[in-house]
Amino acid sequence: MNEDAPATALRAQAIDQSFGDVDVLSGVSLSVARGEVAAVVGPNGSGKSTLLHILAGIAAPDGGSVAVPREAAGARSVGYLPQRPAFRDGFSARDTLGFYAQLLDGVDDDDVTATLDRVGLGDVADRSVGSLSGGMTRLLGLGEAVLGDPSVLLLDEPGSGLDPAMVERLFSVVGDLAADGTSVVVASHELPAVEAHADTVHVLDEGNFAASGSPAELLTETDTDSLSEAFLRIVRAQVGDSTVRAGVGSRRSAAETDDDDLEVEADE
Amino acid sequence: MSERDGSDTETESSGRERAANVVQDLFVVATRELRTIVRTPALLALAAAFAVSVVGVAWAGTGGGGGFVPLTLDLLTFVEVLVPLLAVAFGYRSILGDRQTGELDVLRTFDVERLSYVGGVYLGRALALVALVVGTLLVVGLFVPFLTADIPTFLAINAAADSGVRYVRFVFLSAAFTLVVLAATVGISAATRTIRTAFALAAALALALVLGIDTALVAGLASGVIPEDGLAVLLALSPNSAFRGLVLSSAVGVVGGADVAAGNSVLNALGLLVWWIGSLSIALWRVWPRVESIEE
Repeated sequence: MNEDAPATALRAQAIDQSFGDVDVLSGVSLSVARGEVAAVVGPNGSGKSTLLHILAGIAAPDGGSVAVPREAAGARSVGYLPQRPAFRDGFSARDTLGFYAQLLDGVDDDDVTATLDRVGLGDVADRSVGSLSGGMTRLLGLGEAVLGDPSVLLLDEPGSGLDPAMVERLFSVVGDLAADGTSVVVASHELPAVEAHADTVHVLDEGNFAASGSPAELLTETDTDSLSEAFLRIVRAQVGDSTVRAGVGSRRSAAETDDDDLEVEADE
Repeated sequence: MSERDGSDTETESSGRERAANVVQDLFVVATRELRTIVRTPALLALAAAFAVSVVGVAWAGTGGGGGFVPLTLDLLTFVEVLVPLLAVAFGYRSILGDRQTGELDVLRTFDVERLSYVGGVYLGRALALVALVVGTLLVVGLFVPFLTADIPTFLAINAAADSGVRYVRFVFLSAAFTLVVLAATVGISAATRTIRTAFALAAALALALVLGIDTALVAGLASGVIPEDGLAVLLALSPNSAFRGLVLSSAVGVVGGADVAAGNSVLNALGLLVWWIGSLSIALWRVWPRVESIEE
């Protein structure tokens, strides 16, 4: 990674996004430093995937802006792992990454091999993507995302559907990438892994970050022992409650809830 | 060199570099499409079925043993019906498949331009389909010298009633027709979001081309809704009618001693061109929305 790279790798300001009459994101701002692992957690339907689409430059927000400083070292700026990565049948894992490598300047077959080894798919590199397990497919998606050493990596629920060992492996790969200077934004429901590996956690709820801070700060602020408990407090839910969100609604104030001691603030 | 000259040179050079990248990415995508086709058993089976059917028609009909023009007339309707069906099979999932797997989103993080992606998908699929159609038609064209009683010892290059040159025109026009119909199905693939919608639209397109538009024209003429003097324009609006008109006027020419009245050749050619450009423009427009670069 380039030593002269800017300290801030990704900056999003006042992002608004609606679908029809449903407001999904409302004034979301986010800044991710070089080498930082920022986790975005939130209830189902809270807009995590929408936010990642916008951060990746795939979707245009209704309002606000996203900026990624041009990185001199990498072959591209942003790597993206979709929520359910899938690839064309009939191609091997090596063929698949080889195709993407051809779209990048200065990335060759050796880089493809190194990337497959890096994500732990070296032994199945020549296996057809159709015969890969769900976990392996996700790792191949991670390989595609890190190809070309992007300065920012956006991972949408990378651990979804994986066994705990695979989740741990995936997050440890993410940790290694961050240690090398890559900035990572990961949307995830794997809260124990997030607690262990993320530098910053942003809780997205009802259109904006309801809380932001390091895992330790969130535990302190919510007076809880785990990020899972802290999450439930922040989104004002009990274990077993449905937390599905269908856009921005009127948010109950802390005074209206039983959690009068809860005082977490959005970062805007 | 002034500052402005330097800036212009820099802009020109970056424009050239961008254009080179667009072309390079286009060929990368096209290569993947070709590799996808040769690894898709269903498409290979359809290609084989098409080739066998065309050979069967040429062998069993009067065409193969009767000369190039009779062969053209034997194959004309067959090509009009089968090429749209083949184009649907080759094209309707071409872009939609990548959208559904999420690879379209991923590709966009590789700074692939819309022109590279759509152009590459179209080029790859078109190369495979045109090679199939042209290859098969040329092979059955070789039957004529062998099966015709009066075996020609050379290919006529004048305006003889029956000649290999006329058949080559038919093959060339079939390739153009193939490119136009494939462009339409690629346009549908780019514009739709579900397999069901794409298949329904592509099937409706094939049905309209093969039956619907001609039937409507005949009904319109019979009922007097369509004036006779506007027929040439209306025929040019349908790729099938335009293709048929061009084949009859340039590859058949004379039937029973009389010139074939097959619309206006210029309008027919223009009609095919409009369908081709229009379809690919829709594909480029609809493949993904324009998003401002996030790089600063």
